[in-house]
Amino acid sequence: MPETDRHAARLAFSEGWPVMGTVLVVGTTFGVVARQSGLEPVQIAAMSLLIFAGASQFAMVRLLSEAAPTPIVIASVLFINLRHSLMAASLRSQLEGLPLFGRLVAAFVLTDEAFAMATGHYRRGGRSLAYYFTFAISLYVLWNLATLGGIVLGDAIGDPRRYGIDFAITATFTGIVVLAIRHRAEAVIAIVAGLVAGGLALAGASTIAVITAGALAPLIAVFTRR
Amino acid sequence: MIWIAIFGSAVATYLVRSLPLAVSVRGRLPAAASRYVDALPVAIIAALVGPAVVAPAGALTHGAEPIATAFVIATVAWRRSLLAGVFVGVVSVALLRLV
Repeated sequence: MPETDRHAARLAFSEGWPVMGTVLVVGTTFGVVARQSGLEPVQIAAMSLLIFAGASQFAMVRLLSEAAPTPIVIASVLFINLRHSLMAASLRSQLEGLPLFGRLVAAFVLTDEAFAMATGHYRRGGRSLAYYFTFAISLYVLWNLATLGGIVLGDAIGDPRRYGIDFAITATFTGIVVLAIRHRAEAVIAIVAGLVAGGLALAGASTIAVITAGALAPLIAVFTRR
Repeated sequence: MIWIAIFGSAVATYLVRSLPLAVSVRGRLPAAASRYVDALPVAIIAALVGPAVVAPAGALTHGAEPIATAFVIATVAWRRSLLAGVFVGVVSVALLRLV
């Protein structure tokens, strides 16, 4: 029996709720941190509405509070989000059947989390695009609601590292990789990509860590026969 | 200036996300390129995990995250369940950070 859109949409919630919960917590933290840095509420809300990319929004808040020049701010955001072009390229084959408008909407809500969950789903044989759109658009709504909540809350929230909530997304991504690996070369690629990205982040190159490791490690597949 | 930074960043982010999906390429990829594209998803997701495990909060881990990640891998490989892995990961990292 083929997978129905309704079933895929429900699966996006039943598999994705820990990630959704974390996005709520992190989005609230973003609102709080941005407000404390002195940005206006309408500017903070505009960042989440228009940019919708967590790591780069946090970096932006820090740069703006240090009065960094505007081109530096924009270039930093660009570098941090460059990894999304790899994700979009990798989602092409799933989204090919959509009209241009659908692909443009899919691109607007493309995040690490949506990419990872959708990839996990399609690798396990899922076909319905409802999975991607349900999950990605839910995250957009939650991220923006949480940002507003954070702006209102001010400094009432504690450190999300407490209780290990921050680790839910890392654990989810780790699980997706484990379930997605189909042969030994892919296990090697995953380990190399993780270690290279981690090493670059430790060396202070965290803005380019993911794009560099993500683009280099698949070369192993090009040079191995299977 | 802040508004220019916000709009500029929004445009830059959207271009990065949409260009590979908006531009259509004709023809089939050569075999080597399609092996590369096939390997991309796993590599990117693993690359997202790496920094969060090795350098959470920007500094070298004290060990909680790598150990918790090993528990997650073992749990998911054994139970084939994402939720079981997330549960084990969150609980173990919270406990290990207390140590």
